Amino acid sequence: MIRRVLFNLMAWTIVLAVAFPLFWMVVTSLKPQSELFRRPPTILPETLTFEHYWQLLVETNFLTYFQNSVVLSVATTVVVVSIATLGAYSIVRFKYWGRESLAFLVLFTYLLPSVVLIIPLYLMLVGLGLSNTILSLVIAYTTFALPYALWLLRSFMAGIPEDLESAALVDGASRMGAFRDVILPQLLPGIISTALFTFILSWNEYLYALVLVNSDNTRPLTTGVMNMLISSFNVEWSLLMAASVMMSVPLIIVFAFLQSYLTRGFGAGGVKG
Amino acid sequence: MIKNQKAKLERQYATLGMMLIAPTVLVFCAVIVYPLVSAIYLSLFDIYTPTLQGEWVGLDNYRELLGKGEFWTSLRNNIIWTVGTLSLQILFGIGMALVLHQNIWFRSLARSLILFPYFVSTVVAVLVWRWLFNDLYGILNHLMMAAGLIDMPIDYLGSMPNAMISVILVGAWKYFPFVVIAVLARLQTIPDALYEAARIDGAGPVARFFDITLPQLRDVLVVIIMLRAIWDFKEFDLIFLLTGGGPVTSTQTLPLLVYKEAFSLNHMGMAAAYAVTMMAVMLVFMIVYIRKTREKEA
Repeated sequence: MIRRVLFNLMAWTIVLAVAFPLFWMVVTSLKPQSELFRRPPTILPETLTFEHYWQLLVETNFLTYFQNSVVLSVATTVVVVSIATLGAYSIVRFKYWGRESLAFLVLFTYLLPSVVLIIPLYLMLVGLGLSNTILSLVIAYTTFALPYALWLLRSFMAGIPEDLESAALVDGASRMGAFRDVILPQLLPGIISTALFTFILSWNEYLYALVLVNSDNTRPLTTGVMNMLISSFNVEWSLLMAASVMMSVPLIIVFAFLQSYLTRGFGAGGVKG
Repeated sequence: MIKNQKAKLERQYATLGMMLIAPTVLVFCAVIVYPLVSAIYLSLFDIYTPTLQGEWVGLDNYRELLGKGEFWTSLRNNIIWTVGTLSLQILFGIGMALVLHQNIWFRSLARSLILFPYFVSTVVAVLVWRWLFNDLYGILNHLMMAAGLIDMPIDYLGSMPNAMISVILVGAWKYFPFVVIAVLARLQTIPDALYEAARIDGAGPVARFFDITLPQLRDVLVVIIMLRAIWDFKEFDLIFLLTGGGPVTSTQTLPLLVYKEAFSLNHMGMAAAYAVTMMAVMLVFMIVYIRKTREKEA
């Protein structure tokens, strides 16, 4: 019994140590400016304040960045997941020339470093006159999101028994009819978890946003928030921590409500990182 | 007659399959294959970024980069960073997975808390750590001084070897949850009978770990190590945002060098040459990973 309690205490000490930076982020964002610079620092704030959150919404471009990030991530997710669902169905269930090499290419590009693609992509998007637009980021994000989504959906698709589809075909359904009525409902949990991961990837991306966009109207959260740190000569850590918390809110929501889908996705193909 | 019909149906299916894959192939060619090929092509030119004008220099970029000290120091940093952060991720990841595999209180909450650093944006992680590392008001210096570990505040990011150690630690903190989840999933499939048999034979917990758990984890560990090695090797955001490659160039890895050449020093062609060389180094690991994954599926 004592051993069990000790083991639990040890385990939770490690867990809390790992989570401490995130706890400290929330605490800092709620401290008034005066308390922030007190030594020794207070672990729990003596007075709670939401002034930094208010300041963030009213005095900075945070809301624009937030909106850009939402548009960008949703657009990338919708485009990538719809293309990848059809693609995964094709790769798993049909036989045609070049299918094997295509599957190999998908896996290869899943591992490809962004810095190799970024120079030609930059030249291409500048050439198309798309630089500084959200569209250019959606295009750039498909370079990592599409191979990833295909890779993930492929393994979900492979898990659906082929018999179900054959039965529908024998009953006279067309191939696409069977896809719509039989495969799609079965694949739905896979589609949801792929969509969640694609959204998280796009929400967190930094490098392409840094290179392709440099105006405040189109900047997403990642580069926008970082820019607040660099451009303000007087760094306000509470403000930055409040921004970090707000930036993580969509992830926390995803986490809280859709955890089972996240675990499923993790099992199917790992998460890109 | 029936045979004929069947062949016809198969042809129809093949066409349908190709139509379904067509959007994927188109996007792949436009945003991945074309840029990949042109990266190699660009690396043979000397291009000035603002004007995008340049001339053919052949293999000169490659000759120059191999002769430059900066390439070799960046490669060395890249290897130190990858090996350092990866070993911590693996060691800590396996340890944490073993702990979370046990029946601890509020296990699912503990798992969520462990997982969170992985999903949080790198920008957020870096901002938080820079605040923890802050020399004047950072909690880390304060706690270490209060515990009597140090007398003076430490400069975590501005001096060597502190900067490299800090980057490696933050990288390990951010990415070890990946190892935890992957190992945890595998642990759950090891049959209990194996452990019972070992217990009857009188094997202690340590012997059970080395004789049963580790051999059972072997295959999944090879795949995880390969995948994380590839991802850590190409890491840009975390190092760039934490130190920017500094102090001077002591934490500058190859991805940072590519970015610097292309967008600060304005040598597009040279940057492409660095990128292509970096990929050549990574290719070994990529091929091993692809082989291992295929083996597992077959």
